[in-house]
Amino acid sequence: MILNPSQKRGLVGAAILAAVLIAIGLIVTYFGSRYQLRLVYSAFVNLLVVLAMQVFMGNARLTNLSHSAFMGIGAYVAAICVTPVTVKAISLPDAPWGLNTFSLDPVSSAVLAIVITAVLALIIGLFVVRLTGSGVTIFSLAVLVIVHSVFLYRTDIFKGNQAFFGIPQVFSLTSIVVLSVIVVFLVRLFRESRWGIQLRACADDEVGAAAMGVNIRRLRLIAWVLSAVLLAVAGIAYAFFLGTISARPFYFNHVFLTLAMLILGGMRTVTGAVLGTLLISFGLECVRWLETGPVLLGVDLPEVLGLSGIALGVVIVLTMALRPGGIMGDYEIEDFLLKGQE
Amino acid sequence: MEYVAQQVMNALAFGAEYALIALGLAIVFSIMGLVNFAHGEVIAVGGYTMVAFAALALSNPFIVIGGAIAAAVLMSLTLERVAFRPVRYADPTTGLLTAFGVSIILQNVFLLVVSPRPVAVTSLYFLDWPVRLMGVQVSSLQVFEAVTTVLVIIGLMLFLKRTTLGLAMRAASLDFEMVRMVGVRSNRVFAMAFMVSGLLAGLACIFIMARRGSVDPHLGFNPVLKAFVACVVGGFGSLPGAVLGGFLLGAIEVAMLVLLPQEYGGMKDAFVFGIIALVLVWRPDGILSPRTEKGDKI
Amino acid sequence: MELSTQPGAFPAPGPEPMLKVENLIVSHGPIEAVHGISFAVDQGRCVSLLGPNGAGKTSTISALMGVARSSGQIAFDGADISDLPVESRVQAGMSVAPEGRRIFSNLSVEENLVLGGATRPDRDGKDADISRWLETFPILGERRDQLAGTLSGGEQQMLAISRALMTRPKILLLDEPSLGLAPKIVTQIFQMIEQLKADGMTILLVEQNATQALRLSDYAYLLNNGRIVAEGTKETLGQSSALMAELTGIA
Repeated sequence: MILNPSQKRGLVGAAILAAVLIAIGLIVTYFGSRYQLRLVYSAFVNLLVVLAMQVFMGNARLTNLSHSAFMGIGAYVAAICVTPVTVKAISLPDAPWGLNTFSLDPVSSAVLAIVITAVLALIIGLFVVRLTGSGVTIFSLAVLVIVHSVFLYRTDIFKGNQAFFGIPQVFSLTSIVVLSVIVVFLVRLFRESRWGIQLRACADDEVGAAAMGVNIRRLRLIAWVLSAVLLAVAGIAYAFFLGTISARPFYFNHVFLTLAMLILGGMRTVTGAVLGTLLISFGLECVRWLETGPVLLGVDLPEVLGLSGIALGVVIVLTMALRPGGIMGDYEIEDFLLKGQE
Repeated sequence: MEYVAQQVMNALAFGAEYALIALGLAIVFSIMGLVNFAHGEVIAVGGYTMVAFAALALSNPFIVIGGAIAAAVLMSLTLERVAFRPVRYADPTTGLLTAFGVSIILQNVFLLVVSPRPVAVTSLYFLDWPVRLMGVQVSSLQVFEAVTTVLVIIGLMLFLKRTTLGLAMRAASLDFEMVRMVGVRSNRVFAMAFMVSGLLAGLACIFIMARRGSVDPHLGFNPVLKAFVACVVGGFGSLPGAVLGGFLLGAIEVAMLVLLPQEYGGMKDAFVFGIIALVLVWRPDGILSPRTEKGDKI
Repeated sequence: MELSTQPGAFPAPGPEPMLKVENLIVSHGPIEAVHGISFAVDQGRCVSLLGPNGAGKTSTISALMGVARSSGQIAFDGADISDLPVESRVQAGMSVAPEGRRIFSNLSVEENLVLGGATRPDRDGKDADISRWLETFPILGERRDQLAGTLSGGEQQMLAISRALMTRPKILLLDEPSLGLAPKIVTQIFQMIEQLKADGMTILLVEQNATQALRLSDYAYLLNNGRIVAEGTKETLGQSSALMAELTGIA
């Protein structure tokens, strides 16, 4: 395969980002506490989610709010498949369709989870791509609410807000760093691919792109399904590390959190997605620490619940008011390093 | 027969509430393309104002109701000044995300300043008593709701038809720049839109509070979520569409409650949103959408 | 038809023109459409900006109204209005019938006129003006309650000009009033403009239809690629310039 210049630049950019991620992974592996390792792991899960969001929102420039739902679908399907029969006999005694009578190895479970998420995304996507602007936003909102209702209501399969436990913890920090590096390359190459470029052209001038013979709906569907597949991967990584999942993390709070990450860094670029995730993950931990009312420089700070939420909201509002394109705008990381090498 | 009549009344009352909120959203959307997710927090502000009045031992119903509505209007105007002015002419996504941010901030401020738990407000219970209407037992609150909504719609129509600012708001939904070019100050149009929106939120707040009897940081979130859906179904930016969507949603919701078997009760929202999503696929721009054209204006 | 041109008063503008534009630069995003033009309109005169498509005529009008990003000085009625927002310029006495007419299509004909007079505090005078325009254009009178979007192009242009006049402006900016209209309607529109001029209205007319525009203009500027390439009265411009012929099609 011959790469064009922008794809080559994309590889360079992705390699730089990958190096940063690997460095973080190494530092935490060797110097981090067990608690810090968990935090960094969840930051990497969110990174996968934000990268997946970038595929659709950054290229098609449409706001999707259902991403956490697809992550949840991936996580639950994998969890149901991989959990041993003995555990399911206790946790899901009333499961229909013999769901508690089989169990698969982690790889098959992950593949099945990805396939099922992709098929669902394809079906939903066929509707999504018919819509525009606010229509997509509201439709995706409906998807989020529907999926969450199903998680909550079918307690016999998903256990609702109770913990779905007993998932084999087969993932480590190393696995998710490797996964993130692969996804960074994938997402960046998609951005620079013919599909990615055409999608962005459509977002800038839909009528013009249509006149050039670009099939907008097909392109959006591709991005939508790819995004959902990556979200399923994030969900699986989440379930395979924690060993326990519930419906709550796949709803509005998570939607807002990841949205803030994408917005802050800048949804138009992969670098923006990575940067936003890292900044907010780190910043939020600092705020959470303040929230508990620590002793700082001899001053005993009061406990302030809700501070992290306020901080998150302020980040979104300020970003939108001051830099609607996010910190990175239209710049990728290599644009700073390879100046003048067009 | 009585059961059917009661359910119809239920549907009307639900629909009226959604229509009030949806109108508040649509009026802002129509002039600035802003999907105002923070509308729910404007409603919640009204609820917390009632808590404050109760704490001050003010229980005169007129003061409580007037105060809550005034607080909602004030909040709405403040949001326009502080949060939405910088993104006034930005693309819809920027506005939507800003509104999301504002919504998160306010919810957490309520949580931080007041409490994450529901706070009881009993000052509006007097609005609710059983009445017999044409031989059918209904709640007075439902009657108030339906009547208020009808009055609001009439009032809004008169405002939009008879006043210059009302005409400007209608015109602004298609060509804001031209409205400015006949000399109408854009700040006045925006402020009026948010004022009307806040007023509608305040009214909705009264009814929500009278029914629930308590306020928590998420008071407005779910109703607004549904009102959005109503707006989209009716055709975003279309005021008649918002009303139609609101009543349609009320009807679907009551129908779901009545028709769904007991054990599927928890899935009500899933079915409601599912039906709405299908309506959207059938008519991507909503049932009564204002025709918008892509591409350049000639 | 009599033309009320007053030979001898031009080309030198009066000591205090109604509108005086100096070194106006207009940009749309990164693209500069007008590269520093200067012109003036004296009170009671009709001045036109002529030129082909893309010459920068409409950009100039947008800049004058304050809806396009621009730099340079715009003095109107003795005051510098360069930094005023669009609403204040209308208050100061500028009014426009823009390119593409842009009537409020979801409002009735009468509502368009009412909104046109939004800045007027005098209710009675406003009502009188509405009646006046509905009588001047009987077709608009007949359709006063009809949605403006259902009018024909010519009717919409009449409505756009009437709406602009509802503010009782000191200067009227007309942007391509003849665009896309049948020849018979064009004649009607220009008769209306001529009548306005006879009534003493100061007019800045932007046109591609140079023949018609020159006929009633006291002075004209010829624009091409964002610069003024020629200027003069009807006679001087019309006779001499080969450029004129090339750019406007007048032999």
